[in-house]
Amino acid sequence: MTATTASSQPLRTSLSRMVRKPSTATMVGLGLGLPALAFLAVFLLVPAVRLVSAGFLTQNAQGVLTGPVTVEHYVHFFGTSLYSHVLFVTLRISLVTAALAAVLGYPVAMVMVRSHPAVARVVTFITIAPLIVSVVVRTYGWQLILGNGPTGLLNWLLLSTGLTHAPVRLLYSEAAVVIGSLHVFLPMMVLPLASALGKIEPHLEEAARTLGMPAWRVFHRVTFPLSLPGLAVGFTLVFSLTAGSFVTPAMLGGTNAQMLGNLIDQQITAVYDWPFGATIASVLVAIVVTVNLLSMRLLDGKRRATA
Amino acid sequence: MNPRLTGGMAWLLYPLTAAAMVFVLAPLAVVMAMSVSASAFASFPPTGFSLAWYGAVLADADFRFSLAFSGLLAACATTGALAFGLPAAFALTRYAVPGRDALRLILLSPLIVPLLVVGVALLRLFADWHSNSAPVNLLIGHILVTTPYVVRTVTASLLLADISLEEAARTLGAGRWRVLRRVTLPQIAPGVAAGALFAFMVSFDNYPISMWLADARYVPMPMLIYRQAASIYTPAVPATSTLMILFAFIVVLLIERLAGLRRAMAM
Repeated sequence: MTATTASSQPLRTSLSRMVRKPSTATMVGLGLGLPALAFLAVFLLVPAVRLVSAGFLTQNAQGVLTGPVTVEHYVHFFGTSLYSHVLFVTLRISLVTAALAAVLGYPVAMVMVRSHPAVARVVTFITIAPLIVSVVVRTYGWQLILGNGPTGLLNWLLLSTGLTHAPVRLLYSEAAVVIGSLHVFLPMMVLPLASALGKIEPHLEEAARTLGMPAWRVFHRVTFPLSLPGLAVGFTLVFSLTAGSFVTPAMLGGTNAQMLGNLIDQQITAVYDWPFGATIASVLVAIVVTVNLLSMRLLDGKRRATA
Repeated sequence: MNPRLTGGMAWLLYPLTAAAMVFVLAPLAVVMAMSVSASAFASFPPTGFSLAWYGAVLADADFRFSLAFSGLLAACATTGALAFGLPAAFALTRYAVPGRDALRLILLSPLIVPLLVVGVALLRLFADWHSNSAPVNLLIGHILVTTPYVVRTVTASLLLADISLEEAARTLGAGRWRVLRRVTLPQIAPGVAAGALFAFMVSFDNYPISMWLADARYVPMPMLIYRQAASIYTPAVPATSTLMILFAFIVVLLIERLAGLRRAMAM
């Protein structure tokens, strides 16, 4: 409610200003945006274009990238089972993490929006605060919890309660990477969900209840469908961020759950194969951009359908 | 006013949320518990109580250098992010700039591209330009990742600021600068401060950009912890991590006070 009136106000005033002084206001606005735009062009756009094109070039013995243009690195990447497996694992970890984040994040978002303000504040604080703690520190915490020896927290618990008699292998697995990623990116699911849930008109649910719908059906038929845009945004964010992560798979996955990020690091830092590293980076960016575009189209389509 | 959770929904959702909160806090709590262990190994359960590891960490020259370097880097990056982000946020909200949606998308794009890839791309660019100064390269990379946070938070503050006050001031004859200084800035100041703090922490915590641009001498804090966690198994690592956690929580409390956490996140 407040968001729509707030955003239409500046539009209205800037329109009126435009009528009064068409060129000056536009020029000032452009001038204000220009430094940031120029900075991004030089240090984001240019390097990105150069990196993508490096994936189509060949590296000579001196380490210089030269022509002719080739797709051999892409053929090599998709044709080698070692690499396509890493791609598959990356997609699987990101998908599972995003799905689990939705399951775990939904109750949190509901409580954030629909509980006593004091409770909501505490839940919001606990959810967002870890976001400001470095990923390295948080992942280190999971190393201590999932440690494979008898001194890892979970293994110690399992052993001392007699549930197992030998330490269980938890660390350096795909599951450990999913747990770590879930922890790191959960807020990115909860926040868009909470904002979508907060925008639902209370009258809609009230009307459904007055018409005799039981609580779970009100949720199923009214609340949940109206929260789908938030869920889509959260899913996209968690998926993209997980797919592009490095620290979590490096610290919790080891060699058993390598992701594309680790492969890029390996190719650039250890092998010094820039064209191949650039190819993997381009594949990663392509995945993330595709998922974001799909989600944007989906949301636009929904908006148009409901309008 | 949103409806409160009642009946079965409350019985279902409150325990699930409590479990999620335990999940969120567990790794931080474990790190903190380990940091005061008297044992020489980071193994569970912690034995005894000792603050000796904090003494060791605070006296460590590598720790001190990384802390100072990361702090300085984050402060400079935040300044840069404000210099680029503040005017850009005004352009997005107060001026009829052609292609405003596209401009917003471009300004926020560093949030979508995987940071790791941004880092590799920058490394290649700096190598080709023979830009060999790690601090300078790191600063540019960190400004790049922090600017979108400033843009996002300040844009949200500007949209929430009462624009009719600005209109009134202008009608009463105040010039553009005066309106900005006396009417707009006081309204958005808490939001700007929160955005700046957020940007500071984004830089202070960054790993995926720094891992490409740092050299052997200039090692930011997260990289120091990463290396120590991979090589040595003493409670010095939990102690360092705990200091990072405590620092982050102080900043979070400040952001909460200034603008409210959810608004600062602009989500």
